[in-house]
Amino acid sequence: MSQELTRMLDTLTKDIAGAKVTLKRARRMRIDVDADALPALLELLQGRGSYVHLSAISCVDWIDDNQFELVYHVWSYESNSLVSAHTRIPRDPGVYLSIYDLYKPAAFFERDIHEMFGLYFEGSPSMEKFILTEWEGPPPMRKDFDAEAWVRDTFTERDYNPEWLKELTDAGGGIAIRPQDIRK
Amino acid sequence: MIKDIPIIAEQAQQPRRTNPLAHVFDELMNFARSRSLFMLHYCTGCGAIELPPAMTSRFDMERLGIQPMVTPRQADILLVTGYVSIKTLKRIILTYEQMGSPKHVIGICSCTVNGGMYWQSYATAKKLDEYLPVDLYIAGCMPRPEAVISGLQKLIDNIKHGKSDNWKDYYQRYDHYLGNQQHLFGNNWQTPTDVIGEAREYGLFGPQTLGQHTELLESVQKPLQPLEMKL
Repeated sequence: MSQELTRMLDTLTKDIAGAKVTLKRARRMRIDVDADALPALLELLQGRGSYVHLSAISCVDWIDDNQFELVYHVWSYESNSLVSAHTRIPRDPGVYLSIYDLYKPAAFFERDIHEMFGLYFEGSPSMEKFILTEWEGPPPMRKDFDAEAWVRDTFTERDYNPEWLKELTDAGGGIAIRPQDIRK
Repeated sequence: MIKDIPIIAEQAQQPRRTNPLAHVFDELMNFARSRSLFMLHYCTGCGAIELPPAMTSRFDMERLGIQPMVTPRQADILLVTGYVSIKTLKRIILTYEQMGSPKHVIGICSCTVNGGMYWQSYATAKKLDEYLPVDLYIAGCMPRPEAVISGLQKLIDNIKHGKSDNWKDYYQRYDHYLGNQQHLFGNNWQTPTDVIGEAREYGLFGPQTLGQHTELLESVQKPLQPLEMKL
């Protein structure tokens, strides 16, 4: 069954330049595709391949490559299989096309990604604040946002040095690695 | 060797009134209060999952006289059961200010103590007692219903002996709490409750009720408008 699925996807993506289909597990396929070809691929998957359900769009910040990776997970109720379409776009300026005209639920995921990663989706119906309505800092899921440093600037730590712990630390016990040493 | 680790901080006791009759009356009031506590049905985070067993037949909170209550205005205890995100904290403060005095705040789980496992999260407030006067903490991740019950028993004991007066601290040191709230929420932060007016009304106006933070509040405060009624 999985062989058939891969063969079907191979035929389907024949005309899309740079599309590479890999079988990850049974009924779980991965397609790597260029950023320009992704809307065409999704249109094919939806219209010809019965992948009508967009489960999620996930985003990965590859800061060393200066790229964002977008993963579109689409599910087919007919072949009961999941296709993850991976694409990479440059981190700067971080603008990509919305697939709202293909999959309506994309509006929700794109708004979330816009809020968490600062990526802008052209053609998405709303790029307003979503969950972090009261957050004014940078998009918090970006790798260049140091959440721990922000916490250190904003909050103070609670001192806790009770007598009973002192005896333990004197004997060489207590907290083995302090949080500030983990970062080094 | 097992050490006796104090987990509940003792609070300063109010000096008892000199008139013996007044003292007896106070004792009676405290006893009555301690035996009929309404707990606000407001849950944050994951610790709330320990409350259904604590409330229902297995551990049965009601044998201590503690009942869940649906509105803050009729509740005595505000249980904060887990991590407090900054958005939630605003709602907690609104809820707390609407509760009638005397009111008690209990922080359950380690997240309310020092952030717990969310200590490096941008979205959660770390120490609850910076923003609200907390009467007691029940540490644990999460504390078992037994721990919750024993914490509540400790609260009952404190109320009975007149040691659980932290709600007065909110009026007496409002400037301090407001300053911490403004630090987190921005300078435009305001609540619909007139805490300073209430402090005057209750006779709890202290030297630290007003300060630079309340001045800032007054300069940005917008008067509340009645909601427009439309059919």
